[in-house]
Amino acid sequence: MKEPSPKSLERMRTFVRKYNEKTGTTTHPKAEVTDSVVHGLASHLDELGKPLCPCNFYPDKKTEATSRRWICACDEMKRWKYCHCLLFVRADGLPITEYLPADHEGRQIYGLVTDPTPDKGRESRDLPPSSPPEGEGAEGGH
Amino acid sequence: MASDKILVLTDSNFKETLEKSSTPLVIDFWAEWCGPCKMVAPSVEELAEELKGKIQFAKMDVDSNQQVPMQFAVRSIPTFAVFNKGNLCGKFTGAMAKDQLKKEIFRYLPESAQ
Repeated sequence: MKEPSPKSLERMRTFVRKYNEKTGTTTHPKAEVTDSVVHGLASHLDELGKPLCPCNFYPDKKTEATSRRWICACDEMKRWKYCHCLLFVRADGLPITEYLPADHEGRQIYGLVTDPTPDKGRESRDLPPSSPPEGEGAEGGH
Repeated sequence: MASDKILVLTDSNFKETLEKSSTPLVIDFWAEWCGPCKMVAPSVEELAEELKGKIQFAKMDVDSNQQVPMQFAVRSIPTFAVFNKGNLCGKFTGAMAKDQLKKEIFRYLPESAQ
């Protein structure tokens, strides 16, 4: 991926700060983790016009960007307050897994991680997940 | 992001590397701007050193390579794929500490290969 423009970097940094506040989460205690993800999001913003999550592999990024499921903040964050990119996490650096289905990989990796601010975030908790891009099977999350 | 203990795999050299590997092969599918990939990288480096001669570690950048990640249905990264005798034995995902990573890898390998 290309180095992002200063404008997109600033836009993503502002978004992350505001979304942390909105959801009662924080960025990862290791600054380089956050910095990597913000660079990836900003680079996708420049390339695709959308901040596509940089912590997934997409067979076709342009097609994926037509669906909102992996546009930051992704469906998993909005429904379950889970960020596998570790951008929106608890103060101890762990992603919240409390609301994930029991068979979700996040629960298998991190175990049960409770939400310290249950009154914040999960703005799409009652909505169905976004449709995958046209031509792709409805496999859901990972 | 790879040391001399860790091979750099591409779509072009994957098949040949897998076929020629005399030990189990663990591939770390990663990308430059993936935070969890960055977090787990030191654990991969340490395990590659610790298990040198027993297990071969490799990395594949999913931003530069499409075919192999598609072949093995990689989605979230980092994803680790464990191969033994040329066959995929298991696959798992996520940033984890060295001990957990080792445990996950060994889960997919017969005792004789550990």
